[in-house]
Amino acid sequence: MFFHIVLERNMQLHPRYFGRNLRDNLVSKLMKDVEGTCSGRHGFVVAVTGIENIGKGLIRDGTGFVTFPVKYQCVVFRPFKGEILEAVVTMVNKMGFFAEAGPVQIFVSNHLIPDDMEFQSGDIPNYTTSDGSVKIQKDSEVRLKIIGTRVDATEIFCIGTIKDDFLGVINDPTTV
Amino acid sequence: MSDKTASMLNKGGLKGKDDSATKSAKGRRVQFSREGPFESVMSDSPKSGGKGDFSKGGKGDKVSNGKKTSTSKESQPSEPKIGQELPENVKCLLDSEAADILQRIQDQMVMLSRDSSIKIPVSFDKGLQYAKSNSKYAKPEFVGQTLQHLAGYGVSDSEICVIGNACPETADEAYALVPSLKGKRSLNNEILQDALNELAKLRQPI
Repeated sequence: MFFHIVLERNMQLHPRYFGRNLRDNLVSKLMKDVEGTCSGRHGFVVAVTGIENIGKGLIRDGTGFVTFPVKYQCVVFRPFKGEILEAVVTMVNKMGFFAEAGPVQIFVSNHLIPDDMEFQSGDIPNYTTSDGSVKIQKDSEVRLKIIGTRVDATEIFCIGTIKDDFLGVINDPTTV
Repeated sequence: MSDKTASMLNKGGLKGKDDSATKSAKGRRVQFSREGPFESVMSDSPKSGGKGDFSKGGKGDKVSNGKKTSTSKESQPSEPKIGQELPENVKCLLDSEAADILQRIQDQMVMLSRDSSIKIPVSFDKGLQYAKSNSKYAKPEFVGQTLQHLAGYGVSDSEICVIGNACPETADEAYALVPSLKGKRSLNNEILQDALNELAKLRQPI
């Protein structure tokens, strides 16, 4: 889910950026630096929404760079174990399927797909129930539950399940 | 030579240690097996039913011991509580609230985009797209108010947020999706169902 959070970061600024626009420069550098990054603790930093305060700068010995402690508010996206997400299927294969919820990739293994759904290979690989009433293929929307997360430097991978009550396909692209 | 002997000594010493360790472990097992009957009486577990054979009893105990730890693990929330690893000073956002904020930022970005040095990262677009596609409410600020009184029944912020995003129709569905709700004593079906009914009214017709 999305969060609004206050974070702190020490920004190093080259002296050439000093002057009347120092604050603006600092903020735009902050946005460039943090937006799109990903940390295990906070998840994806989607957007900086505001600056709480900028502390006093400290000149680094020998370089002339100045370090400013900046407190900023931002919107982050972080999946949690046990969270319910609605995701869009991006790829289906016999091992399971991949889905995407915002910037996060989720893999649902075929062990975590209900037993009555069988993999069908072909032009459009999919998982279908024996009576053909429910189908999971690329671009299907599924409601899934996160059961595990792994955090990389730039990405978050999740393991999800649809083998539970009230989980599964919510929107089939072929019927729309 | 001296190295060798030293190493041998070491080995011997290690072996001795190992032996003592196993011995002590055995000793412990025996102690466990003494406790065994009580345990088996209390838990009525069929596996720890001693057959008189000490070693078997020990094994059985080991099994029951393993069981014990597993049950204690189960008694800890096997379904991890959502948001328990959250850092401080965090405010959960509903998808529709996030969509609002991100949309506003994007509108500003359009003005800023003359500055080519500011690039909109991929995750922003994806986040916005996701938030938009998942925002089910026309007026997200009312959703917060509707669900906020659930907080009085011990429902945490993140649980409220999950409910708001998933928008379950029945209390059963909500319990299935957020199992940690079952632990809230003061919360009952009616209260939850009332809140969900209110929620359904706020939902945008698709």
